[in-house]
Amino acid sequence: MRGECGNLGRRLPEVNKSIAVIRLTGELEIGRKDEISSALTISGSESGILLDFSDVSYADSTSLAELLRFRDDAARQNIPVAIVIGSRQFARLIQYAGLGHAFRIFDNRAAALSDLSLAAGG
Amino acid sequence: VVNRNRRTAIATASFAIIVIAVLVAGGLYVRSLIDQSFTLSSRLSTARALAYTVLRDQLDEETGLRGFAATHQTVFLQPYLRAQPVIGPVIRQLNAALVGLGIPEAQPYAADLAVINDRYRIEIAGRLSNSHLSPQDMFSTEYLGKQRVDRFRTDIRTINKYIEERLEIVDAEVRAAVDRIGILIGGAVVLVLLVSFLYSTQQTALAARVERERERSAEERREADILRSAYLTEKRIADTLQEAFVQRPLPTHPTFRFSATYVPASEEAKVGGDWYDALELPGNRVLFAIGDVTGHGIDAAVTMNRVRQTLISSALLDPMPAALLERVARELYADKAPLVTAVAGFADSNTYEFVYATAGHPPPLLIEPGRAPRMLECGSLPLGAMPENEYRTFRIQSVPGAMLVLYTDGAIEHSRDVIAGEEILLAAAAEAAKQSTTDTATFIHNTVFNGRAIGDDVAILTIGFAADPAVGVRISADRAGESSFAGRLGVAPGEVRAASGERRNAWRMRQFGKKVA
Repeated sequence: MRGECGNLGRRLPEVNKSIAVIRLTGELEIGRKDEISSALTISGSESGILLDFSDVSYADSTSLAELLRFRDDAARQNIPVAIVIGSRQFARLIQYAGLGHAFRIFDNRAAALSDLSLAAGG
Repeated sequence: VVNRNRRTAIATASFAIIVIAVLVAGGLYVRSLIDQSFTLSSRLSTARALAYTVLRDQLDEETGLRGFAATHQTVFLQPYLRAQPVIGPVIRQLNAALVGLGIPEAQPYAADLAVINDRYRIEIAGRLSNSHLSPQDMFSTEYLGKQRVDRFRTDIRTINKYIEERLEIVDAEVRAAVDRIGILIGGAVVLVLLVSFLYSTQQTALAARVERERERSAEERREADILRSAYLTEKRIADTLQEAFVQRPLPTHPTFRFSATYVPASEEAKVGGDWYDALELPGNRVLFAIGDVTGHGIDAAVTMNRVRQTLISSALLDPMPAALLERVARELYADKAPLVTAVAGFADSNTYEFVYATAGHPPPLLIEPGRAPRMLECGSLPLGAMPENEYRTFRIQSVPGAMLVLYTDGAIEHSRDVIAGEEILLAAAAEAAKQSTTDTATFIHNTVFNGRAIGDDVAILTIGFAADPAVGVRISADRAGESSFAGRLGVAPGEVRAASGERRNAWRMRQFGKKVA
């Protein structure tokens, strides 16, 4: 069953205020391109961005392309990006796409936030 | 619109029922008020009639006695004799009526009537009936009687006054009840008119909306027709391109075994999307490539063709897979072309090597005799994702009879679970390894999709080494330098040989040396 974009709002109160959290769930596919594209935006004020994909099980090539575009945008602004991946299937797709080296990848949110905090502090 | 009409009909019926119910209830209530008023009015009239009856009887008593006193004729006593026995009961009836009607203020006067009548009978009637009464006594007695009767008459008038007041109250209540009926009916009429107006306005708005929706629907149909026409035009172009970009025939080379299949997910997906290529290179080598362009249609088809041509032409300059992909990636990025995932490389039947690089594509699968099929390494960005990206060349030393299976993502993403998809593909490959079929690609496809719906395009290309190495060496020696690849590129075999003859001869000699040794 296709999931829905989760909390598209960023800067969740319980999180370090300078780290933005973008959460997507379900299967990321071309039918959700606009939704995904609008979720993957950068305001420029973030010290780090956490992509919480712990409930994402699939991503097609269009969605992976959006991820790449997002990575480029973040890299241009020197904003570190971490991804939390919860499913082996999605991890394998990330491996196909060679994105394992493009992002900081974690299997839990706490570790990703800790890493981003360190990166932002450094 | 149908739902809205249904809701409107229900609302209208409900409103009508409510209005009728209110009118009926109001009517019944007012009617009961009027009935009560009429009943009360009737009882008041009865009381008033009783009062007059009492007064008449009292006057009859007086008249009869005074006539007897003046004439001493008993005939004149008749009115008195008639009235005397009934006046007491009638006064009691009057008193009871006043009590029943709730006019307590009149009751003392009714009681006074009985007292006056008793006294009149005792004090006046007894004396006047005496025929020996002196004129002086008669006069004083009659005068006293007149005073009693006058007081009797005054009491009657007072009682009547109270009854009249009560009748006026009852009349006022009746008028008020009638007024309420008027207000109720008037209010209902106003409400009906108001609701009718609102309903009419709503119906007018609804009709306008239906008309707008009809017009919009017609406009959408026109747009759909235009889109369909545009689609058909694009499809004709796409079909033409499909003819132009039709998959090249697989090479026939004694040291290699090829098979391939391409199954589009739908008629619309025939053009663009997935492709594969296998081209013979000099020196018992074949270039292979498989890929998937994001999207379908003319753009995808043009990009696909461009990638294929760039890969082939680049292979002339530098056949190393990483360099091939890097060049294609630069061109696609510069032109903002759709992203492409691909595997490109070459197989060398002299050394039994598979050399390849991947770009965002699922890993190649290797089948070797006596071993379980396995997925090879993969992992790099899709072509066109970055202006500069270093792709990695993987070199697999294999054996005679080995087969490399390349495929597009549709072959493993049918369930959206790529790990399960890989396992199913590996199982199909293992089954294929046991078969003697030459069309391994189709066998794998049919095994994977046995009973499964095809949700995406699927392309499968297999490149295998001949199992008997001696055949390869013998025939390759005969064909050295006469590559059909050179012919397809439109250059003379000699020119190709001049460009790469030394290295090719070295490969051939090395291979020959192995076999001799």
